[in-house]
Amino acid sequence: MSKQVKFTIDNKEIHAAEGANLLQVAKDNDIAIPHLCYHKKLSPTGACRLCIVKVEGQRGMVASCAIQAKEGMQVTAFDDELEEARKYLLDYLLSEHNEDHDGTYDDEFRELIFRYGLDKKEQRRFPSIWKELNYPMDETSPVLSYDAAKCIKCFRCIKACDEVQGKNVLSFTNRGITSYIIGGFDKWDESECDGCGECIQLCPTGAIVEKPHRDELRLDQKTSKVQTTCPYCGVGCQLELMVRDGKVVRSNGVEGVSPNDGRLCIKGRFGYDYVNHPDRLTTPLIKKDGKFVEASWEEALDLVARKFSEIKKHHGRKSLAGYASAKTTNEDNYLFMKLVRMVFGNNNVDYCTRLCHASTVTAMLRSLGDGAGSNSIEDYETSDCMLVTGNNMIETHPVTATFVKHAAQRNGAKIIIIDPKWTPLVKDAHIWLQPKLGTDVALLNGMLRVIVNEDLIDRDFIKNRVEGGMKSYDELKTLVEKYTPDYVEEVTGVPAHLMQEAARIYAQARQPLIATGMGYSQQVTGTHNVFCLINMMLITGQIGRDGAGLNPPRGQNNVQGVSDVGASPFTYPGYISVEDDENRRKVAKIWGVHEDELDGEKGLSTVEIMQAAYEKEIKGMYIMGENPMLTDPNLNHTEEAIRKLDFLVVQDIFHTETTPFADVILPATAFAESEGTYVNSDRRVLRVRKAVDPPGQARQDWEIVAEIARRMGKPIGNYKNESDIWDEIAQTAPIFAGISFNRLEHHGIQWPCPDKDHPGTATLFKERFNTPNGLGKLHPVDYAEQSEKASEEYPLILNTGRILYQYHSSTMSRRNKALNDFANESYVLINPADASKQGISDKQKVKVISPRGKIENITIKISEEVLPGELFMPFHYAEAPVNKLTRDELDPYSKIAPFKLSAVRIEK
Amino acid sequence: MNQDNNRHTMQIKETRIVLKNAGKINPMRIDDYTQAGGYEGLRKALQMKPTNVIDELMDAGLRGRGGAGFSTGMKQKFTSESCQRCPQRYVVVNADEGEPGTFKDRVIMEQDPHLYLEGTIIAAYAIQATKGFIYIRAEYYDSIKKTRKAIEDAYKAGFLGKNILGSGFDFDVEVKLGAGSYLCGEELTMLESLEGKRGNPRIKPPFPAEKGVFGMPTLVNNVETLANAPIIIANGKEWYRKLGTERSPGTKIFTISGQVNRPGYYELPLGVSLKQLIDLAGGMRKGRPFKAALLGGAAGTFVDASMLDEKMTYDNLREKGATLGSGAVIVMAEGDPVYDILHNCLRFFRHESCGKCVPCRVGTTQLVRQADQLKAPEGNKEDLLKQMVRESEIMAGTSLCPLGQSPILPLESAARYFKKELCNPV
Amino acid sequence: MSTHDIIKQFEPQQHNLLHILHALQDANPANYLTEEALEQTARHLGVTKSSVYGVARYYTMFSLKPRGKFIIRVCASAVCELLKVNEVIEALEEELQIKIGETTKDGTFTVEQSECLGQCQEAPSMMINDKVHNNLDRGRIRKILQEYRS
Repeated sequence: MSKQVKFTIDNKEIHAAEGANLLQVAKDNDIAIPHLCYHKKLSPTGACRLCIVKVEGQRGMVASCAIQAKEGMQVTAFDDELEEARKYLLDYLLSEHNEDHDGTYDDEFRELIFRYGLDKKEQRRFPSIWKELNYPMDETSPVLSYDAAKCIKCFRCIKACDEVQGKNVLSFTNRGITSYIIGGFDKWDESECDGCGECIQLCPTGAIVEKPHRDELRLDQKTSKVQTTCPYCGVGCQLELMVRDGKVVRSNGVEGVSPNDGRLCIKGRFGYDYVNHPDRLTTPLIKKDGKFVEASWEEALDLVARKFSEIKKHHGRKSLAGYASAKTTNEDNYLFMKLVRMVFGNNNVDYCTRLCHASTVTAMLRSLGDGAGSNSIEDYETSDCMLVTGNNMIETHPVTATFVKHAAQRNGAKIIIIDPKWTPLVKDAHIWLQPKLGTDVALLNGMLRVIVNEDLIDRDFIKNRVEGGMKSYDELKTLVEKYTPDYVEEVTGVPAHLMQEAARIYAQARQPLIATGMGYSQQVTGTHNVFCLINMMLITGQIGRDGAGLNPPRGQNNVQGVSDVGASPFTYPGYISVEDDENRRKVAKIWGVHEDELDGEKGLSTVEIMQAAYEKEIKGMYIMGENPMLTDPNLNHTEEAIRKLDFLVVQDIFHTETTPFADVILPATAFAESEGTYVNSDRRVLRVRKAVDPPGQARQDWEIVAEIARRMGKPIGNYKNESDIWDEIAQTAPIFAGISFNRLEHHGIQWPCPDKDHPGTATLFKERFNTPNGLGKLHPVDYAEQSEKASEEYPLILNTGRILYQYHSSTMSRRNKALNDFANESYVLINPADASKQGISDKQKVKVISPRGKIENITIKISEEVLPGELFMPFHYAEAPVNKLTRDELDPYSKIAPFKLSAVRIEK
Repeated sequence: MNQDNNRHTMQIKETRIVLKNAGKINPMRIDDYTQAGGYEGLRKALQMKPTNVIDELMDAGLRGRGGAGFSTGMKQKFTSESCQRCPQRYVVVNADEGEPGTFKDRVIMEQDPHLYLEGTIIAAYAIQATKGFIYIRAEYYDSIKKTRKAIEDAYKAGFLGKNILGSGFDFDVEVKLGAGSYLCGEELTMLESLEGKRGNPRIKPPFPAEKGVFGMPTLVNNVETLANAPIIIANGKEWYRKLGTERSPGTKIFTISGQVNRPGYYELPLGVSLKQLIDLAGGMRKGRPFKAALLGGAAGTFVDASMLDEKMTYDNLREKGATLGSGAVIVMAEGDPVYDILHNCLRFFRHESCGKCVPCRVGTTQLVRQADQLKAPEGNKEDLLKQMVRESEIMAGTSLCPLGQSPILPLESAARYFKKELCNPV
Repeated sequence: MSTHDIIKQFEPQQHNLLHILHALQDANPANYLTEEALEQTARHLGVTKSSVYGVARYYTMFSLKPRGKFIIRVCASAVCELLKVNEVIEALEEELQIKIGETTKDGTFTVEQSECLGQCQEAPSMMINDKVHNNLDRGRIRKILQEYRS
């Protein structure tokens, strides 16, 4: 901790850290020095001048935002002269300001006007001149409007965009009193603005206001606020929802709370329209004669219970399966898992993790003993080297990316990107390695060889913390010997010197983090890719410290939590194997059943369940909040499998590509209507709170699940509320033992948290790995050519992925005007060389065809973002279902499907 | 000026040390400069310890000639001692001369560019900077051309680049251009402009000595200041201190313009009087009586005839409520409208205000409006003028940078000496 | 030289921005910066559009609108005002039939006011492109303009 100093403000004794910002210190001590341009999250600007004080020994008045706390300083914050000057300053501002206020935003300037009595016109010295200055309005953005006449030119929006979000989209135009804020060339919609709205949140007046729900907004007693967790990606941003007339009308980031400290992306800020969308499912639906008809809960639940019971009776307990949901709460998923294990009587429960980070988790579990990120999101900011592999984080985890950008932009940290496709983070990167699709193992083995040959290893770490010590290191050393720079360059296409430099920077960094994404996991070699990363990390000792380690940012709000609470065919809550008899006995006791009723054999995973359905081994399925008919690989095959089911229940908030195949559809609640918890990417358990009532008869998932269990004759518990369920989760999963709803009231807690006095764990593996012997394990793996290759018939390799403005199967995101305004159409990226080879022009409509299927009417985007021979398509768009083209050839370890690599051809 | 005043005036002559080559050598030829003793200061400096160079300048009493009059040696000392782990330190030459009525730096750059370049290299050596920028306003085409030529020739002659004169000291310098902004002559704003940004001043602290251009310790010195450095090093501090006064040693280039017979630049020891300077410039044009002078440009002060005999040093003028500033002297004769010139200054500030801080952005605009009202047929003009002065005090006390702190200088002094005229402008 | 070629002469670092803008404007016969040029500059420097636009709009020597072949910058300083620059401006406006800030119909001249040009010893002053003209009065204005017209 930094040195403490003692000084006085208006004779009051103040204690603060030496060098602390004087204005902030005053604020923290309830000394209300007025200010407008200062904001805790931003560097001081010194524009409004209101925070002037006098410091003994310094001439005149000085802006306290630019003063550092020093021992013994004597500060005057309030005297007649200072107050007179402040009044002048406010008066000046008023004269160039349009005072109209529509009551939809907090106005810090207006508060000061009242505080200094300037609301009374006779108190003002200056004529109002804003009208003659002809300040413009910019209404071109889909999400906000800017009114220069209400702008006090405090720089907060500019710095919000630059310093907080790392985007620097805004600037001033002109100078002096005619200056005002601009995006782009004075047209917001043609700027690089991606609509995150940080500027709106930090604007102290009504100069920048949001467009969505403008007419419904009003700050009065009828408006309430609820803090909850964002329903989109796995960063776990804390939101404050503003509710009026039973409807969410605004979403703001919560300042001062991890992980986002007020930051949001466009989805978090403007992506809540779907909650109140007319398409919401509001009653249970039963398919009769091929058509869905509305039904009562009684009827629907009875039917579901009866059908599942019949299937179990006739086909045995292995004939049922369930897809849990990465979108719903831990409590929902815990009960869902409990239903499958206790009532269905098998372990056939899985969810979309199998489609995203299963390989990462598998590799981490085998090598390190835990499948979760080893560090905190905030650690990116203090890291000096970030290895970003197959991870387009600016688009997929925009708020995590802000920390990464800070490290690079402010602290000079080096970002190394490994990605066959350009991503926006490349702009901030030190090195971008662009390997051909599917050659990552070769590239990483090349880097390992550099580290080995240049002796950049950490011997102590290998000896003390790696299983087999130097002996197993030698095995790795032998294996990578053949990955010479020349060979690796030939295989991957990456210039050898760049690969070598990247290896050196990583190995020699003080605090390097690896952030690995779908590009690494969604491959047949997904587990191998991550084994290589772990090998590199272990031999260089770059894990087990604060700020050093391996972190897979999770794609969905609760993808981490669902695994944590045991919705997995392989593990019980807290990652304890289903084959662990002792644990099963323990859990059976908690659940009040005989241990034999719980299947001790591993269940089927996501894609295996579909394959089993295809083979008619699975007869009945319960899908909670998933959409396999868009997200599973090889969709044509998935459809055939689903059609073969005897009985399918889909529980969701909307009709999806999967619901037409259901026999019963059950309406569930959206995030803003639910209570419970999610776990984010850095293992932080975060509260989800109900802000509005669900539409129609929709119910929260766990209540529906519990009802089905009861009606199948096996009640799975009698819970008053979500807190009750959580307490049982904490009992079954040792990683959660110390966490309760009470402790989560104000902020999240990172697991493992073994007891109620434990603060949670920011960094994993500091003392030991979570393997049985506490040691990390090397897995030397060789590069193997992909079985799917470009051929004469299918000469191009298709890569798939996400974009900022849409989300997964887009059932949620496409029901938001703001998001659609930015991106409402699919496309395929093609390198200019390939485009000219085929005579294709930009914006042309084409067909994309693979051995598995075909999609039509796709718009071409010619771009150097992809290498020659490679294509890229986003997977969000139902009208362009890329998974008709992908394969279901699985990674043998993790059963993940290779979404990132399919041979295709393009036809005009 | 009347006859009576003239009788007491002691006729003075210029003391050209900085301008000793002006008009005598071809500024495009480095050989002319070296034959006149050029680069001897640098040779000598390179044989001294860097800290001794700083001490020499400090002991010589050299003060910044840009207007603020801060000790050059102190500034160099701060810069050389700050942030020892910083990988780079910079010298920035402030050649963004824009103060109305001021053209002393232009004269140096056009007539003897090697002199200030030599001073730049000495300063760089003193603070151990290996990279320098000369920031010249883009309107000074001739200065830019001649400076670039001087740099090119200095590289060829081994005064710039690697291992200068075998000393082991490396220094590179390049010209950076402004693009029309008075405020960029303010040192913290200049750093922003150098980095390719808008000319908004930075807050201080940190000072350039701690965190300047690209976040590194930076010495910002004016052209005339640096032009003194080779002379001091070559001739020694004792020699230098014989010129000028105890607290303001050396010479100053005054640029005199307006109603005098021979407007132009004059290098004089600090401490001459305004009257002496006017005489040197050939006396009042057409023999018209002296009415006022604006000392130091727009960010300067009006004086009337009562100040003609005051010694023009930094300190004496400050005591008398006036300023020496950049050395600009704009002379007005009876019949010339002080109101118009004050109005011009106020418009100038409005035009050059960057808009970053509230008092300057709005205050400069409101002052021009109020100055307009001084001409209106009705209203209590004296109260209005008093109010304007009060506002300029608030601006001076609260503004972020010197621009907003400047209107008080011409406004308050004009109100002091010419209240009647300002309240009843023609 | 094309816009692209001009920009490529400079290292892609923001501190070169003013130099790039000068070079682009000087190379344009209409003496201004096109949006396309600004966009290419932003791309070359790897910065956002507004960081280029905001700078171009801050400095008075840059224009985003087409101007004449010759930019006449008349000094607006206190010294020139004292020595009757107003008469010079009147003469210019009469001769060229345009007001300050405007461009002649034939695209030859644009008249602008400039901050102090530092030519105070021979005020009033103006510049036409990179050349200084001092000691101005009506007669000299007429003569100078004639030189440029031919």
